[in-house]
Amino acid sequence: MTTLEHDRDGARLNGPAGVVRARANQLLVLVALFAIWQALSMKLGVYWVSSPWHVISRFSAGVAGGDLLRHASYTLAEAAAGFVIGALPAAALPLALRRLPAVTAVLDPLMVGGYGAPKLALAPLFILWFGIGIESKVALVAITVFFIVYFSALAGVRALDVKLVQMAQVMGASERDVARHIVFPGAVPYVFTGLRIAMPYSIGGAVIAELISANRGLGYLVQLGAMNFDTTGIFTALVMTTLIVFLGNWSVNAVERRLLRWRPPADLRMQAGS
Amino acid sequence: MADPLLEVRDLSKRFASRAGRGPSPWVIQGLSFSVKEGEFLTIVGPSGAGKTTLLNMIAQIDTASGGEVRFQSEASPLNDPKALNPGLSCRIGYVTQEDNLLPWRTTLQNVLFPLEVQGRLTAETRARADLLMRAVGLADFEHHYPHELSGGMRKRASLIRTLVYDPPVILMDEPFGALDAQTRMQLQEDLLRLWNLGRKTIVFVTHDIAEAIALGDRTLVLSRAPAHIAGEHIITIPRPRDIRGIMTHPEFGALYQRIRAQVQ
Amino acid sequence: MTARDDVLDLPREGPLQWRRYGVTIGRAALLLLLIAIWKLGADAAGPMYVADPFKVLERIIADTQSGTLLRHVYVTLRISMIGFVIGCASGVALPFLLRRLPRLTDAVEPYIMASVGVPKYALVPLFILYFGIDDAPKLWLVGLLVFYPVFIAVFAGIRSVDRRLINMARIVGASEATIAREVIWNSLMPFFFAALKIALPRAVSAAIIGEFLVGNEGLGYLIEHSRQNVDTTGVFAGIVIATAIVLIINAVLVELDRRVSAWRPIAREMAL
Repeated sequence: MTTLEHDRDGARLNGPAGVVRARANQLLVLVALFAIWQALSMKLGVYWVSSPWHVISRFSAGVAGGDLLRHASYTLAEAAAGFVIGALPAAALPLALRRLPAVTAVLDPLMVGGYGAPKLALAPLFILWFGIGIESKVALVAITVFFIVYFSALAGVRALDVKLVQMAQVMGASERDVARHIVFPGAVPYVFTGLRIAMPYSIGGAVIAELISANRGLGYLVQLGAMNFDTTGIFTALVMTTLIVFLGNWSVNAVERRLLRWRPPADLRMQAGS
Repeated sequence: MADPLLEVRDLSKRFASRAGRGPSPWVIQGLSFSVKEGEFLTIVGPSGAGKTTLLNMIAQIDTASGGEVRFQSEASPLNDPKALNPGLSCRIGYVTQEDNLLPWRTTLQNVLFPLEVQGRLTAETRARADLLMRAVGLADFEHHYPHELSGGMRKRASLIRTLVYDPPVILMDEPFGALDAQTRMQLQEDLLRLWNLGRKTIVFVTHDIAEAIALGDRTLVLSRAPAHIAGEHIITIPRPRDIRGIMTHPEFGALYQRIRAQVQ
Repeated sequence: MTARDDVLDLPREGPLQWRRYGVTIGRAALLLLLIAIWKLGADAAGPMYVADPFKVLERIIADTQSGTLLRHVYVTLRISMIGFVIGCASGVALPFLLRRLPRLTDAVEPYIMASVGVPKYALVPLFILYFGIDDAPKLWLVGLLVFYPVFIAVFAGIRSVDRRLINMARIVGASEATIAREVIWNSLMPFFFAALKIALPRAVSAAIIGEFLVGNEGLGYLIEHSRQNVDTTGVFAGIVIATAIVLIINAVLVELDRRVSAWRPIAREMAL
């Protein structure tokens, strides 16, 4: 059924009116989802699907009591530490090797292999090495993030506009000037794409390692809930995990927006799809 | 008679041959000309004749296969890529076809860039930058990013970015080519006005004969590949020039015809 | 200071061709170096932390001969493939369905995109609770992990179909089904393949990690079980095989993609 708001192929037609109506529909869907959840919990029992109210109250209690936040902070710390440890060398390496294309070429199969290989499969190995504490999680996150950011940074260095370098050289720029004023700023957008892609992997990696073996963190809470048949506990931990993923996304986007004010809008639109 | 400031002697260029295809043809061969200090020289030639290649060699961002370029009677080796000195230590400025503004710097920061890099950023040079920005109407756009400027504004910024550090010779590669006719004329006027302030030595390359006549003291005609100087024309139209009405000048028609005949 | 920055790609011809040989030799040297470091690490850290590469090789050969390795690999691949098919099918079908229901799409889209933020692996304990300890939770995991990239790619691909082609098809009288089949499906091929390149290796990874958490067969089980027994050689052997399988799949996909896309004028890439 065609409506006045969309054309035959789904593109929204009306300007502001269409947007308002879409927002209203979205709100409706949200309410519907909660209603369905509530209905399911009444039909199947709280034991199986918990209920909106149970999760909300457990969540609030967990936050108020500090417990939930404490576990969340462990997971966040693991993810953040691993993120930084993985991303910094990954971004620096292509910049450092810029004048040594042979070395980059030699390393390429190693990097491609590392990128393609399932890093998460290393989780048991890291737990074997570092124990069930924070280090194994940080290591896992670091190695996952490293390869993602490496290739983004490499693309950024390769996207170098030679004409800009020549221009700078004609004006008397030294090698260091070129690296600092041309190569580095040019690569930053690409590095941020990598950071944005890697961010959910960092939290996901921390949680997975916690699922396998841990005694702290949100993944641990999920496992605990599962072992105690405590669906509410599982859902609460899941909600918190999702929240910190959103928080992470928002942070990376906020920093990016600040640093990359100079980008032409067309680039931004293309980025939005990823 | 003072020695020419810039002298090109017997310059030649061919690109590296591809494996299995034999030697590539000469792009430029036996090209010679000289430029006096304070002269505005225009070079006219068909598109693709090697105008950019010529300027690249003079600016030393590309090697030459033969011949030499002398600046103030001093020749530089041009055959070894590692020995090239782009811009000849900031004595040769180069306004390229693309504006090549750094997208992550504001207009003002872009204009100050060469001064920063040369370590010459002082109150005096900053004032000079401000003066130039005002002269081309960019004073209100100091803190805009390149993507927020129109094509004409970016061109102006690119132009004064070279002017700000005052190199003795300035090469220009069809700087106004990508602009609409109105903006182009405006920028030609701006350029002549700025040039009048300091009477720098300019080598201006274009495919537009009318532009070459309007701006230059002397026009050289570049032949097709293998490019060399096919002719030389003194522009007898007195300064100051009226850009918008240049075509109505009595000397214009004859000059145009003569030059056009040489540009095949 | 050179005038032209070195191009980072390898020179393909001319007097610098010897550089290509240099790079190949360099890579071979790097490989040997890595194996040497592995061996040294094993000697230095002891068999509990780093398994000796030769012992790992022995174990792989022994397990292959006894058939256990093949069994585990088969189990993992079976789950990966079934989950992959499920995830792919739903990832393709849903966008086509949504296309006919634009108001629903608008209303539901933000929630679908928000659900991307939920780490799917974290759902495994829930799946185990719901679906038991057999294949089902793992299939759900693999299915979901495949579903999202495929869905997003096909969804975006459908939206980006050139409207003029659709209009042209309508004018000449094509039915909606034909339009879906001919115009839309072909236009979204590059997006779909880009997603497959990501989803297929991910399916195998997901199966393995699912096996860390539940089950008593499969490569993931092999790795995790070895860890619990402090059988480091087993852990290494499992990881080596798992990595090899995923890398082989990647290489095959890259090659397939190259051939299939050979005629395309524009290489379309999507960052997912």
